Amino acid sequence: MELSITVNGAPHVIDVRPHATLLSVLRDSLFLTGTKRGCDEGECGACTVLVDGYAADSCIVAALSVNGSRVDTVEGLGGQHGDLDGLQRGFVEAGAVQCGFCTPGFLMTLTAFMRENPNPAADEVRMAIAGNICRCTGYSQIVDAVRIAVANRPQ
Amino acid sequence: MVRYEGEPIAGVVAEDEALARDALTAIAVELEATPAVGDIEAAVAPGAPLVHPDWRGYDVAFDYPRNGNVAAELNSDPDPEALANAFKQADLIVEAEYRAPRQYQAYIEPKSALASWESGRYIVHTASQFPFNVRDQVASFLGVRVSDVRVIGHHIGGGFGAKLDAGLEPYAALFARAVGAPVKIDNDRTEDLLTCGCRENAVVRMRTALSSDGRILARDVDCLMDNGAYSGEMPFMASLPMHVFGQVYRSGPTRIRCRLIYTNTAPTGAFRGVSGTYLYFALERNMDECALRLGIDRRQFRIKNLIGDGEATLVGQVLSDAGLLREGFDEIERMAPWSEVSRKDASPGKLVGVGIAATTWLTNPGAGSVTLKLNEDGTVGLVTAATDNGSGAVTMGVAQIAAAELGVKPNDVVIQMPDTDSAAYDAGSQGSRTTHVVGRATLAAAAEVRQKILAIAGDLLEAAEADLELADGAVRVKGAPSRSVTLSQVATEALRSGGPIAAAGSYATPLPAFNPSCATGLLFPTFPTPTYHVHLAVVEVDAATGQVKVVRYVVAQEVGKAINPDAVRGQIQGAVAQGLGYLLYEGLDIENSRYKQRTLETYRLPLAVDIPNVESVLMEHGDSAGPYGARGVAEPPIVPVAAAVGNAICDAIGKSINRIPIRPDDILEAIDVDGRLEPA
Repeated sequence: MELSITVNGAPHVIDVRPHATLLSVLRDSLFLTGTKRGCDEGECGACTVLVDGYAADSCIVAALSVNGSRVDTVEGLGGQHGDLDGLQRGFVEAGAVQCGFCTPGFLMTLTAFMRENPNPAADEVRMAIAGNICRCTGYSQIVDAVRIAVANRPQ
Repeated sequence: MVRYEGEPIAGVVAEDEALARDALTAIAVELEATPAVGDIEAAVAPGAPLVHPDWRGYDVAFDYPRNGNVAAELNSDPDPEALANAFKQADLIVEAEYRAPRQYQAYIEPKSALASWESGRYIVHTASQFPFNVRDQVASFLGVRVSDVRVIGHHIGGGFGAKLDAGLEPYAALFARAVGAPVKIDNDRTEDLLTCGCRENAVVRMRTALSSDGRILARDVDCLMDNGAYSGEMPFMASLPMHVFGQVYRSGPTRIRCRLIYTNTAPTGAFRGVSGTYLYFALERNMDECALRLGIDRRQFRIKNLIGDGEATLVGQVLSDAGLLREGFDEIERMAPWSEVSRKDASPGKLVGVGIAATTWLTNPGAGSVTLKLNEDGTVGLVTAATDNGSGAVTMGVAQIAAAELGVKPNDVVIQMPDTDSAAYDAGSQGSRTTHVVGRATLAAAAEVRQKILAIAGDLLEAAEADLELADGAVRVKGAPSRSVTLSQVATEALRSGGPIAAAGSYATPLPAFNPSCATGLLFPTFPTPTYHVHLAVVEVDAATGQVKVVRYVVAQEVGKAINPDAVRGQIQGAVAQGLGYLLYEGLDIENSRYKQRTLETYRLPLAVDIPNVESVLMEHGDSAGPYGARGVAEPPIVPVAAAVGNAICDAIGKSINRIPIRPDDILEAIDVDGRLEPA
């Protein structure tokens, strides 16, 4: 079946199987492998992308259900020459990346969250990322990354 | 014979995953059910079915005690008379049983492998912590020479010990040759969980003889560890009680028996901190119970029985600097004075408790190597099979060491991904060894590269080598920085005189001396390059719901030298989170030889709302063999966590809970013995 989506600003028309997930379309059809597959049941958050601006677990989103939507993945966060956005720089500075496998999901969850909450308190950040699992860091550095990104944001 | 749920019995190769799964359903398997045993205590009961009826005929790598369902056994009882006398003369004997469940590593990237068969060789791509081990295991499975297998490493989406052994790689290689095309195998989450070599479940029984003035007179320890259906490195773990019960506290004559038990469950394996996590839980819960029964302050009781500099452990290994344990207690006292945190200012309906626990741990001594080369643009190429399991030990630690030695920026050290064809052997990302062992190999390689650079630069600058220094990507004459050549110029000049600049360095930690007659079945005899740790936890328990909140968590850790302090603190924070998960939320329950938790929906991992900011102090007493004095860092901060937090919870509720995990139901049940505490 035919799926029309705009991914990171670029329109795509893709032939997909009826049961294909958004995750499999992103990874296997568009080769956007920054979005990770961790559990296939919406528990770990590694596959988080933005669908029309809202964070969603792409492993449990039927691709055809987002026909016509705008999808943003981690590949779309930085600039054209590989430069990082403010939140990504915050992650680097805070040491919020260890193995890095969960990082794209955290970045997308927080990108959506910070649009609504530009100056969040630490406990609000912790609640916002409660649907993303990081097994390496113990989370504090991810909370720090948000604080650093907020502090470094151009006024 | 199928011995556990998840054991591979047949495979299908197809052009895509959906097709392969469809084809699997076309395979009909006829199985005859035979009696199974899924529980370690049932497996050692008389008349239990044997998991391996033919165990006697097995070819084992080492000769060690085995018997029926006992896959390996360690026994140590060096002075039975002294032990018996100590228990006879004791003022108090504290006896208890401690239990721990399986813990799933739950790295976020499930296991995966891609293999092909090209020009008579197997090429395996995998995100392994230990590529050379995968090479050897693939070769052994296929019956070929190790050099017929090439393993190429990739970035690892978490491993924590579970990606040290080969998993899917041997099958991918077998299928690739059979079908004549590259074959990829991906685990889904349930496949991954069911077949993962989890931290083993265990039962530890302990009797401790005490004098009324607070000395430990003797100890008798009996452990049962679950091996699962097949043994990998687990027979080595049966030795761990020999270390844990003699390397923190003096305990007089000590008898230890540890049996590793076959069951019809998935094979268990390495998870950060291995058996130490629950052995220290048992030891430190016991220390609290001893102190309480003696009416002595729990911290004072520990300090009174701490071992010191130059004392020998139960295996006869002398710990020259064990006095650092005492310094750890002092550092904790500076950050969180015992009298203050014990004051227990609880808000209404809450119970506050404090726990403290100490640990001595090791740095894995396994061999490693590094090749450094000076690239023609002045950057440094670094070739090693050491892997970065999320700790930054290669990309930060080893690279920083190379950069510092050769005067370049860390970002100008270009690291090749592990490849068993191009790099010499490396013992893998385990036991915090990489910065220590591979860092030391890097120093050796860098010294030779540096010498070659200085020889050429000395000619170019017409200066004595002794007058030169390496800094900012250049070689300069000391005191005359305008007289310099860039490393790029040196590398280019080398192509005309002597050839390209490169050198290799290798290292393996020499093993400490020990007493080989201290035990039978001692496969894991020493704890090289020891590290010392003291952890303190303050918890708040909700008396109505049993929920635990960790209010403060404080760590004092001997690291030798923090090569990258932020990375060290990151390892401590992450390890404490895994330890909290172990104690408070996780655990695989086994029912009829099957796991009840089978996905991340039912296997509860710690979340951002559960984990406090860990406060840590890094103690830096350099190890003479380590690069800049660095010791192993990343594994051990998980080891004392269950002990410290378990003690804090028991202190809060005034009851003993001697098993992991401690969940709200367990707390309410413990409180309920004499009536639920009503919120004030």
